Parts: sequence; structure tokens; C-alpha cells
Amino acid sequence: MDAPYLIEMRSITKRFPGVVALDNVNLKVRKGEIHFIVGENGAGKSTLIKILSGIHPYGSYSGDIVFDGQVRHFHGIKNSVECGIVTINQEFALFPDLTVYENIFIGHEVTNINGIVDWNETKRLAKHYLDMVGLDVDINDLVGTLGVGKQQLVEIAKALSQNVKLLILDEPTAALNDVDSDNLLKLILELKKKGITSIMISHKLKEVQKIADSITILRDGKTICRMERDEIDEHTIIRHMVGREINNIYPKRPKYEGGEVVLETSHLNAFDKKKNRFVVIDSNIKVRKGEVVGIAGLMGAGRTELARTIFGNSAHYKVTGSVFIRGHRVELSHPKKAIELGLAYVSEDRKGNGLILSENVSNNLTITALEKISNYGFLNFLEQAIQSEGYVKKLGIKTPSIYQTVQNLSGGNQQKVQIGKCLFSEPEILILDEPTRGIDVGAKYEIYTLINKMVEQGKSILLISSELPEILGMCDRIYVLAEGVQTAEFNVEEATPEEIMKKATI
Amino acid sequence: MKKINPVQKYFLSIMSSFITRIRDYGMYIALAIIFFVFSITTEGRFLGPINFTNLLNQAAYVAVLAVGMTLVIVTRQIDLSVGFLGAFLGAFLVVNIENFGNNLGKIFITIFGPTTGQNIIQFFNDHSFWLIILIVLIAVVLTVAVGLLKGFLVSVANVPSFVVTLAMMFIFKGLLMYTTRNTTIPTSNAFFQSIGIGYLPTFKIGNYNGVALILGALLILLVIALSTIRYFKNIRNGVKVEDPSLFVTKLIFTIAILAFLTYTLAAFRGISYLLLITIFVVFVYHILTTKTVIGRKIYAVGSNPEAAELSGINVKQIITVVFISMGILSLFAGLMFVARTQNASPQHGVGWEMYAIASCYIGGTSANGGVGKVINSAIGAITIIGLTNGMALAGINANLEPIILGSVLVLSVIFDIYTRNVRPIDLVGMYYAKNKYRNEYLQAKKEYKEARKALKEAIEEGNTKKINVLEFELTKKQGEFNRFRELIRSAKEEDFLEVIK
Repeated sequence: MDAPYLIEMRSITKRFPGVVALDNVNLKVRKGEIHFIVGENGAGKSTLIKILSGIHPYGSYSGDIVFDGQVRHFHGIKNSVECGIVTINQEFALFPDLTVYENIFIGHEVTNINGIVDWNETKRLAKHYLDMVGLDVDINDLVGTLGVGKQQLVEIAKALSQNVKLLILDEPTAALNDVDSDNLLKLILELKKKGITSIMISHKLKEVQKIADSITILRDGKTICRMERDEIDEHTIIRHMVGREINNIYPKRPKYEGGEVVLETSHLNAFDKKKNRFVVIDSNIKVRKGEVVGIAGLMGAGRTELARTIFGNSAHYKVTGSVFIRGHRVELSHPKKAIELGLAYVSEDRKGNGLILSENVSNNLTITALEKISNYGFLNFLEQAIQSEGYVKKLGIKTPSIYQTVQNLSGGNQQKVQIGKCLFSEPEILILDEPTRGIDVGAKYEIYTLINKMVEQGKSILLISSELPEILGMCDRIYVLAEGVQTAEFNVEEATPEEIMKKATI
Repeated sequence: MKKINPVQKYFLSIMSSFITRIRDYGMYIALAIIFFVFSITTEGRFLGPINFTNLLNQAAYVAVLAVGMTLVIVTRQIDLSVGFLGAFLGAFLVVNIENFGNNLGKIFITIFGPTTGQNIIQFFNDHSFWLIILIVLIAVVLTVAVGLLKGFLVSVANVPSFVVTLAMMFIFKGLLMYTTRNTTIPTSNAFFQSIGIGYLPTFKIGNYNGVALILGALLILLVIALSTIRYFKNIRNGVKVEDPSLFVTKLIFTIAILAFLTYTLAAFRGISYLLLITIFVVFVYHILTTKTVIGRKIYAVGSNPEAAELSGINVKQIITVVFISMGILSLFAGLMFVARTQNASPQHGVGWEMYAIASCYIGGTSANGGVGKVINSAIGAITIIGLTNGMALAGINANLEPIILGSVLVLSVIFDIYTRNVRPIDLVGMYYAKNKYRNEYLQAKKEYKEARKALKEAIEEGNTKKINVLEFELTKKQGEFNRFRELIRSAKEEDFLEVIK
């Protein structure tokens, strides 16, 4: 393959306050290739894509983008789209309340010479593009009523309608089931035949092996290497991605001895009134004292929803069934009550609803139990400072001071603040929802050590994670969810990744 | 390297502190400019004892509303009903205290029959103290009920607060007209008289109001004592403190302002009850927002409602409490207004809510929630009323007032947005860093300029290949230049301790 490079990103360096997100990164993609960018979370993949699509505008980084043989300055998405670079993010840029054809042409409507939208032509073209992506839906359907897989195809149809030359897909299959994923990969190959170049970000190495022509591996904001199709090999990729052997990243803990049940759900159902479907179906889980129980499942399996239901954060759910804490049936109508009963929840979305980013470390740590640092409703600032300092030390939070604003901390330290905040209410049972998402390996290890320490103190952990090795490495027992239904229960000794995946994709 | 001389250092650190905290000082700058301009155009009358006392009394009800509105905006809500709610409650008080028998008194007749009812009415008419207590209590109950209703509609029924309070605005406008029967009802009741136009009883010290002088002096001593104690306490606890020279400068500034206020008030009639109520409200709410659990919760809800909910804070409850507090302060404002004007009128209440909201924004309350200080909002109210008052005094066409107010509001919000991410700056550190990196910086700058020139020439030539290479060169040089600029910009005095010693 010696086709010329369609896109060349040279020595891209991008700094965020306090961190170098990309350090002299190079990316080369030939015309008509399917190129994968792989790397761990936080390796800089998304940042690179954001630079390429103009979200981080020209001037905010150093280095060059050469597209089609010309240096380009993208000041915004508009510029990159004009060149034919279209990015499809994990979060779709679709309007759920508009129809399929309106969505496809939003922003570049088909108009007649008077500037009036030509709906007949729009519909004809929409049908044409839908055929191209092989999507068989009525163009008058509202996008919100389509499934995720179909929505993705609408996104691709939209890209095609923008004369796409380079299609960028950020983890396109993360939210898709196997059938939809396969279809999507086939479509990408189909588009390749039509001369469309693709860049994909993916964590699924099987996919990479299946369709990649070349890959670039990033680690810690640096380009590690570029591999051609015939060099691609799963083990090499993993080695480059991680940069070290992946043994012993889960600290050991004595084998679980058993104990009383502290948390139990019985025939717990939750109906999401907004999505108009059940998100938790007949959940029966048990968590014992000093035990780490894992909840495995794919995206959309209802893991977070289960956690939220147990925690009482279920304003738009209709909940039936019961939750028992230490053998007593409890009515968990609000997180406040759950916290009083000794529950704590570490949110999977630490920036969205886990922390108050604009507040300082100390205020975040103490927010769950203000009565501990106040007398008769008046805050005791000295007590607050002492307590916060204690938690900062105990959890090893790296911050210049307890008065540092949380948004200036690194992901790992933010996560520790979130865990500290939950520990502050002195819980017995912690629900950790993706506690290691988006943090580096070192910080992960510290979080795992923390989990073990908590377990040692007799606390119980319900660990939700998308990373199977983490589930297998940290848990004593594992429940598998699929589409809201509990499909399996394993003791960790019996569980294998393949078994769990099989149960998760039922 | 040469050590910086003390005088220069003093001014540089003052400038650093000022620039770093420009956001907090913005409103004071605006206030100072407005006061300065009006002082000149009115030949000093604007800041004279009579007018300034008057200005504070005029601003009182807006300040009280702005304090409550701050919390509403902090929790990401809005309350458009406060104007007519306040005016209605004011009218409710006036009408019933002036003429109990023809209004609420009728209820007693309905309940207890004519004879007992008449006796009850007679009792209250004879004992106006109990009448006032009764009517105020009823007004409070009414206000709390309204607050509960608003809180319920906003947080439980999920109706946007804009709509809920817009509807309430119409309802209270109607109730105001209904209560006053569309006529202006004057009152001469001593209760309203003393609140509205009364001043703290006093004695004379020379030509000045003694009570004001003494209270002012006490306040100044208190400020000196408290800030000094806190300063040394911080040193003892190892909290980083500012340079002593800076601390003293700020203290002297504060004392000067307080001394001016004391003098101005003492030179006329002293401290009015309106001012006293306002100070009381601001003080209570300042403590509430900065030093209590409920305050912490209010700001948490405003900064991130979902995170607050997951932290065990009942968001619905907090929002309801905030609306109830807003109602109570509307009652205060309504009472203050009818007391000052000595009448209840269907004309009252128009635009109060807009003044209150504008005061909050001028005072730096963030429209995105989570940020805002009640003291700043109260001072925002003084700024707004200062504009009105000053223009009237200077004889400027009154029709210009809304135009100028609107401009000030927009400017202050633009200022707020642009100063949101101001980074701390240390000019002393920059001074040292500039000396240290001068050569490297100038070199990088020179190379960057050359690279830019070379690229420009290549573009004129139209040599694509050369352009590509030079583009690359340029971004590299630009990166280098930015690195040095950044190095100097973020320098701190502590980094150069060895030089200082």
C-alpha cells in the first residue's frame, strides 16, 4: 500500500492546565484505509480526535494537520466538515424529537434557489443515504424511537450526506450488541470500497483484528507505534497499550470467609417512566459483610439503574419489590435515607453528578454528613478542616491544599475525593459504580488497595464495572446483568471472562 | 539578580492582589465610578448627608428583595412574583390595620355571629398592638403557604420556576388590586410611621447624631479587632496569609469607608429603621449563607443538583425553603415600602422583581447557579438606586435612567464572564522571572517573528511544499515562545527565595 496519506497529523502537542494531554503525537492515515487508534483510557485518543475535528481549534495546540496535501487550520467543527471530515461521537448529535430525514439534513438543509427548504428533495436524498447504509426505517420516524444501532446508522447517513471523505468514529460499537456491531463493521468495509477513509477508536481488539488496515497506538499522550495490517497481533497491541506486563494489578486479599447478609434485594423491579421500559427486572442480590460483590454487564444492562434504585435515587422510576438492609426491610425513597442507613454510592459520572467540581476538596468531602462538622446548624470550620485533612491523608489524595477546587485535580484524585466523600458518612455498604473509569493505572491500583482496606474494616462493597479483569480480580462473587435481567451468579473461582460475556449477551 | 525595592514591591503586590481578585472588586469599581461621576455633576450634594441617607432608605426594600433573590438565583431558579407579592402583602397589612372591621374582621362575624364578632373586632380596634401582631402573623402564614406552593410546583410538579412565578405575578397583581379596591389607601398608623420614616432615638454630640457616631465607632473597632484576630489566627494555624503591608492597606481602606458612612449618617438624622432592618436582613443572610449547614446545602444544590441529591441533600426541600425565604423577604420589602410611602396603592410593586434580579447580577451572582454573595447583591441594589437617585439629583432626563441601568447591567455581566477564569497573578514573581528569562524570552520571540515572516513570504511565492515545512516550523516556534511567556506569567515570588535572601 503506497497510496498517499489522506491525513497527516504532525507533532501534535496539546496542553491542558497542569497536564500535557498530547506530546508530539503523529498520526498518518492513507487514502481508503480503515485506521484504528487504540490506547488505554486517558491515552489522549479523544483529544487527538477533537483536534482533528476542530473542537480544539487551531492555535490551542502546536503541530500541524495536513489533509489532502494541504496544511489546514480548523477553527471549529464547521471547517473540518467543509473539508469532508465528519466525526461521530459516542454521544450522538441527533435530535430525538425530529424525524430521520430532518436529522440527516440538519445544518445543511437542501434548499431551492429562494432559500426555502425543499422537503421533497430532502426526503428523496434521505432515502438514498439510508439505502447506502442499509437502514430500513421509515424516514418519517422520530429518531428518538429508534434503537441505538439504528441511530448510529442515521448518524452515518448524515455523514454521507455531508460528502464525507474521512469518517471518524469514537467507540462506535461500545453501545451496540453483537449483531449491530457486526453490521456496523460490514458497513465500514462497504464504505471503504466506496473510497471513504475511516478512523476508529475502539477498545475491542477483536474488531481491530477483523477490519483494521493499520493502527496507531497511543499511551500517556505519546505515539507508541504505528502497525500495518500484517503486523497486527493482539498480544503486541496489549503490550504496547499498557507498556508493562499486566500481572498483579489487583492487590491480594484473603479469601472471603462468609458473614451475615447486609444488603439484599428481593424481586426488585424498576420501571423508567421517561424511557418507558423496565430497567431493573426481578433483581435478587445479596451482599454479605466484608464481601466484594461484582455486577458485570454491558452498557445498558441496567447496572447503574440497579444501583440507583437501591440507593433511592429513583425519582423517575416506579419501583416495586423490596430492599433489606441487615435483615430489615427498608423503604428507600431518597439518597438521604440510604445514607442514614449506612449506604454510600460512588457515581460512575464523577464530573456530572459525583462531585461539585466548582467547590473545593474540603466542601466536597464533607457534603454527605454536614451534621458531623456542625453544631445546631452552624458549621464548625476548624472541625471541617481537621476532618478533611484526615481524609486527604487517609486516602492519599494529592492536592496542594484542602481548599483546592476539585476540577483542578487529576481524574484519579477526583475519584479519591468522591470515595472520601462517601466514606465521610461512615457507611457500611458502598456501591462503587465504575470507580476506576478514566483514571490511570497507578491510581487504579490505589483504588483497589482502598477497596481491600475497606473490606478489612468489615465494610461491604458492591462493585459495578465494565472491565471484566477488574471484576474478576477484585470480587468475591459476581452477578451478571443483561438488559435489566439478572442472568447469572458466579463465585469468582468459577467465573471466566468467556462465561461472563456469554451470560451478559443473552 | 537585583532585589526588588520595598516601595515597588508594595505597589506590585497590591496590584497583584487587585488583579487576582478583580472579580470581587468589579462591583465596587462600578459603584465608585457612579458615585464619583454623580458627586461631580451634583457638586457634592450626591454624597452629602441628606441625600446619602435618603439614598440608603430608598434602596432598602430593593436590597432586602435582592438578598432573597440571590438565593433563588443561586439555586438556579427565578422568582418574578416578588414585586406584586410584596406589594400585595404591604397592602394587606395597611388595609387590615387601618380598617380591620371591613376586611379580615368580617371573617370573625361569619364565624362567631354578629355580636361576638363585633366584640372581637372592637377588641382589636381598641388594642392596636394586638391587631398588628395578629395581622402580621396572618401575613406570615400566608407568605409561607405561598412559598410552599411555589416550592411544590417547581420541585415536585417540575414546572419551570419562570412559569410558576410568572403566573403568581399575575395572581398577586390581581390580589393587590382587589385588596386595595383599586384606590390608594393612606395610612397614618404609628407602626408604619416609625418603620417608614423613623430614625433611631438619639442624643446630640455637637452637631452630630450621637447614636450613629457611637455605633459607627464600635463597628470600626469591631472590624479592626476581628480582622486582626483572624489574621494572626491564620498565621498560627499555618494558613497562608497576605503580606502585612497589604493587610494594613485593605484594613485602612475598609475603615475609611466605614468612617465616611458614619459621618454621613451622623451629620443628618442618624440611622433609620429602614436601614436597620436592611442591615439586619443582610447580616442574618450573610451568616446563613456562609456559616450554616443550610447555606452549604443551598450552594451545593445550585452548583450541581444531581451531585447534591446523591450526597443525601433533599433538593426539593432546599428549593422550597429558598422560595419561602424569598416570600418572607417580600413581606419585609412590602412592609418597608408601604411604610415609607405611607400608603397602599395598586400602583406599587411594578418592576420590583426586575430591580432585585438586576441587583443580583450586578452583584456578581451567576446565572448558572451556585455562585453569589448576599452582601454583593445588597450593594448591587444600592448601585441601581444610586443611579436613579443621582440622575434625578443631577437633573438628567429621567427617561434616560432605564437605558443607563440596562447598560450598566449588561456591562457588569460581561465583566463577570470575562473575569471568571482570571488566574492568580504575582507581579513580584513576574518581575524576577522577567529578569531571569529575559534573553531566552526575547530570543524565542525573535525566532517566532522570523518564522512568521518566512511563512508569509512562502505563501506569497505560492510554494506548497515550502509552506508545509514552514507551517510546521512556525507552530514549533510559537510553542516555544508561549512556553516562556507562560513561565513568566505563572512565576511566583516563592520561586525566587534564594534571590530575595
